Amino acid sequence: MEQTSALGSFVRRNRGLVVVVLLLIALLIFGSFYSDRFRTTSNILNVFEQSTGLALVSLGQTLTILTGGIDMSVGSMISLLSLLTSGLIDGKANLVVPVAAGILVLGALIGAINGLGIVWLKVHPLIVTLGMGALLQGIALLYSLGPAGKVPPNFKFLAYGKVLGLPIAAVFAILLFIAVALFLRYVRLGRYIYAVGDDHTGARLMGLPRSRVIIFVYTMSGICCALTSIYLVSRFGVGQPYTGINYTLASITPVVVGGTLLAGGRGGVIGTLLGAYLISLINNVLNFMDVSTHYQLIAQGLIVIAAVSIYVDKRKRI
Amino acid sequence: MSDAVHLQGTEDESNSSKLKTIASRFGIHIFLVALIVMSGIISPAFLSANNISNMLLQAAPLGIVVIGQAFVIILRGLDLSVASVMATAAVIATGLSGVNADVPAIVGVSLAIGAATGLVNGLLVTKRDVSPFLATLATMIVLQGFRFAYTQGAPSGNVPPLFRVIGSETLYGIPYNLMLLAVIAVIFTVVLSRSRFGREVYITGGNPVTARLLGINADRVTIIGYVISGVLASIAGLVLSGYVGIVDNWVGRGFELDSIVAAVMGGIALTGGRGTIIGGLVGAAILIVVFNAVLLFGMPVQLQIIIKGLVIVMAAAFYVRRSN
Amino acid sequence: MLKLSNITKSFPGVRALSGINLEIRAGEIHALVGENGAGKSTMIKIIAGAYQPDGGEIEFDGHRLQAVTPASAKRAGIHVIYQEFVLFPHLSVAENIFLGYERTGRFGLVDHKQTRRDAVELLARLGVDIDPDRMVSELTVADQQMVEISKALVHKVKLLILDEPTAVISGREADLLFARLKALKAEGVAIIYVSHRLEEIFQIADRVTVFKDGEHVTTTEIKNVNREKLISLMVGRDLKDIFPPKRPAASFGKVVLKAEHITVEGRVKSASLELRAGEITGLAGMVGAGRTEMAMGLFGGLPVQSGTVTVDGETFTKMTPALAIEKGIGFVTEDRKGQGLAMQLDVASNITAANLSAVTKGGLIDHSQETAIAKQEIGKYRIACRGPATSVATMSGGNQQKVIVARWARTCRKVLILDEPTRGVDVGAKTEIYKIMNELAAQGIAILMISSELPEVIGMSDRVIVMREGVVSGELNGAEINEQAIMSLATQHTAA
Repeated sequence: MEQTSALGSFVRRNRGLVVVVLLLIALLIFGSFYSDRFRTTSNILNVFEQSTGLALVSLGQTLTILTGGIDMSVGSMISLLSLLTSGLIDGKANLVVPVAAGILVLGALIGAINGLGIVWLKVHPLIVTLGMGALLQGIALLYSLGPAGKVPPNFKFLAYGKVLGLPIAAVFAILLFIAVALFLRYVRLGRYIYAVGDDHTGARLMGLPRSRVIIFVYTMSGICCALTSIYLVSRFGVGQPYTGINYTLASITPVVVGGTLLAGGRGGVIGTLLGAYLISLINNVLNFMDVSTHYQLIAQGLIVIAAVSIYVDKRKRI
Repeated sequence: MSDAVHLQGTEDESNSSKLKTIASRFGIHIFLVALIVMSGIISPAFLSANNISNMLLQAAPLGIVVIGQAFVIILRGLDLSVASVMATAAVIATGLSGVNADVPAIVGVSLAIGAATGLVNGLLVTKRDVSPFLATLATMIVLQGFRFAYTQGAPSGNVPPLFRVIGSETLYGIPYNLMLLAVIAVIFTVVLSRSRFGREVYITGGNPVTARLLGINADRVTIIGYVISGVLASIAGLVLSGYVGIVDNWVGRGFELDSIVAAVMGGIALTGGRGTIIGGLVGAAILIVVFNAVLLFGMPVQLQIIIKGLVIVMAAAFYVRRSN
Repeated sequence: MLKLSNITKSFPGVRALSGINLEIRAGEIHALVGENGAGKSTMIKIIAGAYQPDGGEIEFDGHRLQAVTPASAKRAGIHVIYQEFVLFPHLSVAENIFLGYERTGRFGLVDHKQTRRDAVELLARLGVDIDPDRMVSELTVADQQMVEISKALVHKVKLLILDEPTAVISGREADLLFARLKALKAEGVAIIYVSHRLEEIFQIADRVTVFKDGEHVTTTEIKNVNREKLISLMVGRDLKDIFPPKRPAASFGKVVLKAEHITVEGRVKSASLELRAGEITGLAGMVGAGRTEMAMGLFGGLPVQSGTVTVDGETFTKMTPALAIEKGIGFVTEDRKGQGLAMQLDVASNITAANLSAVTKGGLIDHSQETAIAKQEIGKYRIACRGPATSVATMSGGNQQKVIVARWARTCRKVLILDEPTRGVDVGAKTEIYKIMNELAAQGIAILMISSELPEVIGMSDRVIVMREGVVSGELNGAEINEQAIMSLATQHTAA
């Protein structure tokens, strides 16, 4: 094959990223022409800030999908963990730090159990995490049938606070995404995530630590759910047993829109972050166009269809 | 790998392994019977005519959805859009009855919605190579948007009286909706296990490449599978709205997962090419019995969900072990 | 270096290896030969730790190995290059080479620059020029193999195992490979070389071990055996007993199938061939020469960019499998599990699958008729199974193949294409399949047999068509058919 230019090769390998960036730019230009209010810094920061919850949960989801799996328990996990966050803190400022730490550990633990279940039972991740999702939803409802507890006023700082004029949670999300991107590129375990998703049997024959990789990604997904839960409680002031219900499926959209193959082995977290921004931006633009939320749902579905139709997995058999 | 060696291996099968074969083949049936017997012993009310009739009423909509799901899963797919189809069929039925449309028109429109959704799912999966999970997820969301736009968030109208009868009344203690399920089950069992199309479904699901080389139009078979699932889901939506009596935007919520769980428990493998409608219905019956027993034993209703989660994973692990 | 004592391994219903004893010395190239299904691959996988033996001991480099895993085998210095490469298509060449042994710099982080530099150096040592940044999926097969070999050089390899390494590469590339293997041998590396190309074995091996039906037949210095002796050891009987006698050329009828200027994107370039009633035509060539794609193209299994197929005077520009079957063409595919059988279904359904109309009445399948047909075929082809309802997944390769042959023999009225019909089939079933092919030819069916096994091509074919790099490079008739003639047509360089 002839030598191709560096740019051409980059575009070919990162088609998802390029498409998302172009779409983001197009939407920004369109929005700016459409409405003066869209152009304002505060609106753009608002879009930025609103994407945080989705971005965080999609970060973990990207890792599971890179290994060729999926985590269908994220919605229930967020419901349970957000409920526990506000329920256990219950307005006591001195409990904020220990409870938040405990929630992170619990998220990691639930994720690890997902991973162990997949490795030990040899059951498809879809089924294992669906089962876990049902289990967690049941526990959440046993804990409380409605909103539970409350958080001290300064807890809201996490979601609404600003540093240097930028929303603190959104900045934290960016830093986390960059850290995970670097991890995927520079740490061995990160490289193995791609290898496991690319070829399961091959990974076994090569003696790669397949089980460890799988347990790791589901643990990470659990931690991301815990972060999302803490963020959502900070934003809404309280956790509810159905807070996370829409996140299970919503978390997959930014991942596939960002160019990660559902079959695994290809993609990355930066695409997911941009995908989350894109969805937040689309909803924002549609708001400005006075399109009701009902049609926003339709738009989201169509985006998923468009995304997956563009990045067809060429490895599927003839 | 000579034949002689191979035959020796099979002749060695002892009685104990035959027992094992029976256990693994009918394990799920035995489990259902054991579940019913135990529930009856723990709480005699479980086996009262009233309770049984109640369970059967609840079983019909799930059973109808499971039959459609069975086709799709045997074809190596998955249909996450069924619950959305159910709710959309239901809100449109009540919406139309509010403007005095007659029953055949209502049923026609509802079935058309199911068929159209199935068609889109099938086309995305076959012609665009979209994974079934994402394709049906996307149509689920789109349909949800259309439903909300149609109802503007608040469904109007009443469930037509005929649906109420079919959905919630009985004849000599036998629910009408169960009779409907039985008719549908018989028809589609014949289709799947006796018809040429059914054979093509198994071959295509077992291996689409083989199917194509055998001259089978694998794409068409797959699309028809999704259409069957969509149509049956819309029927189930109407039946369920008749059972519940009122309609909101979330009729059938959770049915997408329950139907998949029932199918997997009933031995319909997610890897395709394997399973029967009867198996799927037995799986559905187990779910219904478990839900009912939880309530009857005075346990908190949330336990239903927890038990469902455990049962999903256990059933899947059971079949994985078996196929190894 | 490596000592195997009494290794056994069984799979459900099949004894793959029984009581294998074998010693491999440092600094030797040890050829391992045997028919398909003789247990060579199982043996390799056990040494590599991919399978656990049911019994026996493995001693390597003076230590007894216990519970070998792929990782521990690798650490011990055992490297296997499988016939199907273990490469990750979406990772770069450099990453593939060092996967599992990443070059790391500060804080144990992966050093991509160092990885790249080391990859360049390793590839240079092998004398190949491959861009380390390319994705492996973009490489040619020969280059992919070089990447596989360079993986072995990443750390000190003591035992290198190659499974059919020349199945996918051409003569010049094979020479390069042999030179590299001899250099490794000189460094004291023990090499196990699995191949069914006997000429290669005489070219590079020091000793040879023969496997047959999961048993160790013999191990001997290569100079103590000749080609004929080796074949009879592998097969367990003389060649002339395997292939049925050929029919006289006068018995061939008119041309029943004519494929003209078939082009399949990237694989077949305007190739043409003719098949005559009652004649067995061999289609030979290297792997990747476009034989399977040519056959798939004329059957309609792959889209063709151009070309026509004429069956019995009727010309088609767009063939589909359904149309091909309707016109009386059958296709026994190379990949039994992936393309031939419906693995979840039983014997009866697999036999009738290509012609469901024959057992369908009013849209419903007549199960009693289907069972009757299956019983008849089971008897006719002596398919070893418990009955028509046996699941094909539980059957041996030879019997599975007979099921497929039975299926197509029922439906093909004019042409039967067989792609590697005896791959993974034991000798007994092999001779029976040859006999069936001969009987079908005697009934006037035109047979096209694709095969990589030269003795099979020579033993069965009345006429041989050779393909090379997507084009038909020549045709041999009757007495012209011999190994040298086929190989020279299959590998001749463009300069020749």
